Amino acid sequence: MKQPVNAQADPGVEQALKVLKQVMDPELFVNIIDLGLVYGIDFSEPGKITVTMTLSTPHCPLGEAIKNGVCNVLSAAFPNRVAEVTIVWEPAWSVEMLTEEGRRQLNFS
Amino acid sequence: MNEITPNKAPSLKVVLPFYGTGALFFLVVSVLLLLGAGDLTGHYFSPHLLAVVHAAALGWGTMIIFGAAYELLPVVCARSLYSERLALASYALLTAGAAHLIPAFWYFRAGTLMIAGGSFVFLAACCYALNVFFTVADGRHSIHQYFLVSSACWLLTTVTLGVALAVNLRYPFMTRSHLDIMKLHAHVGLAGWFLQLVTGVSIKLIPMFLLSKPAETKWLYAALAFQNLGLLLLLAGDYLYPASSADGVYAAICAAGIGCWLWYLNGVRKNRMRRRPDILMKHTFVSCLFLIAALITLPLARYGTETKWVLVYGVFLFLGWLTSLILGQTFKTLPFIVWNERYKNLTGTTAVPLPRQLYAAKVVVYQYYSYLAAMFLLVAGMLAGSRFIITIALILWVGVAVLYVFNVAKVLFHQTIISPHEATR
Repeated sequence: MKQPVNAQADPGVEQALKVLKQVMDPELFVNIIDLGLVYGIDFSEPGKITVTMTLSTPHCPLGEAIKNGVCNVLSAAFPNRVAEVTIVWEPAWSVEMLTEEGRRQLNFS
Repeated sequence: MNEITPNKAPSLKVVLPFYGTGALFFLVVSVLLLLGAGDLTGHYFSPHLLAVVHAAALGWGTMIIFGAAYELLPVVCARSLYSERLALASYALLTAGAAHLIPAFWYFRAGTLMIAGGSFVFLAACCYALNVFFTVADGRHSIHQYFLVSSACWLLTTVTLGVALAVNLRYPFMTRSHLDIMKLHAHVGLAGWFLQLVTGVSIKLIPMFLLSKPAETKWLYAALAFQNLGLLLLLAGDYLYPASSADGVYAAICAAGIGCWLWYLNGVRKNRMRRRPDILMKHTFVSCLFLIAALITLPLARYGTETKWVLVYGVFLFLGWLTSLILGQTFKTLPFIVWNERYKNLTGTTAVPLPRQLYAAKVVVYQYYSYLAAMFLLVAGMLAGSRFIITIALILWVGVAVLYVFNVAKVLFHQTIISPHEATR
């Protein structure tokens, strides 16, 4: 159920993508956008932002920290909206979801 | 779509005492080894060595593994730990058991002290096993969970044999040789409890740490079957045909199970996306090499005439395989556990340190190379029968333990760091 994040469609999404790059995976120390963890950002409901995302490992104990990070940066950037995070496991994350920048930061061949 | 809350980790008070106490017992193991250095050139059935082995197996290995397992069970089973109270009870009982058994063996006080220690450990194992069984109970079962359940069953078998041996020393009732049952007790503990637990956890964590594509799981089912078949045959064969030398065949079946597991891990290693493993993963790779070294030594220990091979075999398993694994994986798990509690609500609001900044990275490097030197010197000294080299090696061992305890304490006592101007953002 992957929803591609399309920054050009909505300037709000573009700003959200920018601030979400501040949220890092604590183990890999790569931001969640370049890891490909964010599947969708939805501004359609008034007063709300819904982020659909996954984690690199199901039931990762650090998942709550990442989820809180997403809510915190979005709340600061969009004070008039309530940020909500929906964690999904389908499609499962894989290394193919990394961006070029993510691959570079992880020194992938 | 399967939406689920990601946080199912148990509270810090459940997990941290195991890491702290385990680190202190590692220091105790190292000091006892140094004090009993002379015993490393003698027979393995020595009070001092029995004390060291129980300190290593219970106070060090089982203590850390219980703590790590309580943290990882929710990850492996995708549900919360069944009971934090049972986990805390297992901590108190295991600590009490190890604290009784170590002096009981060191001074060889067969009787109340030893039996009480064995009973505490037995109860601790029951608490742990119940927690595993009830946490795993529902839902779809994975290969990881089969290993966790089988290892818990073997733990119960090990401690039952252990208590029986402790009673037998004071009130002899066994019709079989005490040493024969002791060998069974040791191998059920090593190949049942430790091996199967480590197999189950490693096949979950190592692909995660190396960012590897999954390797073929048929090797894991083969590993589960061979490891358990070999052990069951060892128990049944030893009961029915006590004088038989077929235990070599049973050991070979177990070794085939180890081979399947290591083959799977090799596939994970080849498929890894993180090309440069960190020093903590090197500790893990080294531990696999020590396990292979132990398997190579096993025929010499079983069929050879020199008892030094039995001791070298034990050193490869306890101080090589298990210790190297724990020394590395402690810093792959503990800093994340503490970081998660201290910083999970602060991410995205302020600059927070990384989990790996909670320990001194340089100290881990010193720990790694000191450990390799200590192991090399210890095995060389034992093979050469040199008390001098053994003593130098064991002084290094104490150094390794001090470095490890320092870093574990640094993580355990970490206080939340927030720069004042950032916190008000």
